[in-house]
Amino acid sequence: MSTRQLTANSRQSTAHPKTVTMTIDGKAVRVSEGASVLDAARQAGVHIPTLCHHEALEAWGGCRLCVVDVTRQGWDGWCKLVVSCMYAAEDGLIVLTDTDRVKLTRKVVLDLLLARCPETPLIQELASRHGIDRTSYQANPEPTDCILCGLCTRVCDHIGVSAISTVDRGIGKQVAPPFHQAPPDCIGCLACAEICPTSCIPYETSDTRRVIWEKSFEMVRCPQCGRAHITQEQARHYAGRGGVPASYFDTCDACKRRQLASTFTKLQVVQGGAR
Amino acid sequence: MSTEACVDPAALSDILSRYPAAEPSLIQVLQDVHRAYNYLPCDVLVKVAEALDVPLAKVFSVGTFYKAFSLVPQGRTIVRVCTGTACHIRGAGQLLEELERQLDIKAGETTKDMGFTIKTVNCVGACAMAPVVIVGEKYHGAAKPAKVGKMLGQGGGHEN
Repeated sequence: MSTRQLTANSRQSTAHPKTVTMTIDGKAVRVSEGASVLDAARQAGVHIPTLCHHEALEAWGGCRLCVVDVTRQGWDGWCKLVVSCMYAAEDGLIVLTDTDRVKLTRKVVLDLLLARCPETPLIQELASRHGIDRTSYQANPEPTDCILCGLCTRVCDHIGVSAISTVDRGIGKQVAPPFHQAPPDCIGCLACAEICPTSCIPYETSDTRRVIWEKSFEMVRCPQCGRAHITQEQARHYAGRGGVPASYFDTCDACKRRQLASTFTKLQVVQGGAR
Repeated sequence: MSTEACVDPAALSDILSRYPAAEPSLIQVLQDVHRAYNYLPCDVLVKVAEALDVPLAKVFSVGTFYKAFSLVPQGRTIVRVCTGTACHIRGAGQLLEELERQLDIKAGETTKDMGFTIKTVNCVGACAMAPVVIVGEKYHGAAKPAKVGKMLGQGGGHEN
């Protein structure tokens, strides 16, 4: 290939993102380069269970529930087990999501999770769907709902707050604020509680006050509808990040949309009148 | 967990001046802080977080992750009892009991005069010398409960 062609090709590739074609459980799938095997499977409608994955966050590969077997033509039937959320889709990849090895691996993962969280409905349900009704290990005498998927700490990092983190390690590992005290950096956005797949982060929120991680927040009330929709710390944090004044967040999203809608209505009237 | 003010704030600024003020320096700074104060004081961690521009939660996460860091004040001499398989078989249990009896503390605790802290470690890689007790920086191989008193007497050097 000449240099000229190469340049032409690379120019083309920026215009149309390169795609890769692979098969997942016999279905051919075409995805853009850089997608993960999990993305490809979701696009193809093949179900892969996950616990630590969220579209808004970078793949982490923590729960190991999304394991799949991958192989290629010419590998003589040899397969390797990979975590689909972190394995990049490649041309000619053959993905198998339902082999005995995949099923066994997921079963072990869920068996261990059920031992840790014997009373958690989400884990019970996932486990029973994989044929486990009771853990074959010793059930945790102090049941917890936290599966240490790291979604809460990662979303907190992603928002740019990093108020909580994992603390200690091994069996003592847990998610906690620094020094197990009300976290000074927390803005009370509830992202950690909302993203938690087992809803194990307690919080209270009302029109006057919000409490999470034992930290209390004052709410900002929308001047139009009176609804308490955001904490003062949230408004300040978003204002700092977005380069808008904190007062921008006084009005709630619903009222802002209503305002915008009425502005558009007026615009249409003017246009209609001009015609 | 201690919340008392750190003894010597000058030591911290000296440590911080040695490393670039960025996240990659975190572990080295914490190691030096641990060496200077013999533990990681809470208020020092807050200052380290500010100086390196690392979220406090991350500093706390690293500080609690590594066994080499302690968040509670430790004794001037750390007595480590190896409880690995070889040492366990050759009587680490009795050694630990004798140490706990003589110092009147349990493993993981520190004597009231801040002289000694007893720790158990899983394996120090000196199985041929089992059972092993490390007092300060001195390794005692083929340790016997009867020799514990002598070991504590000669191992008073400041370290860690």
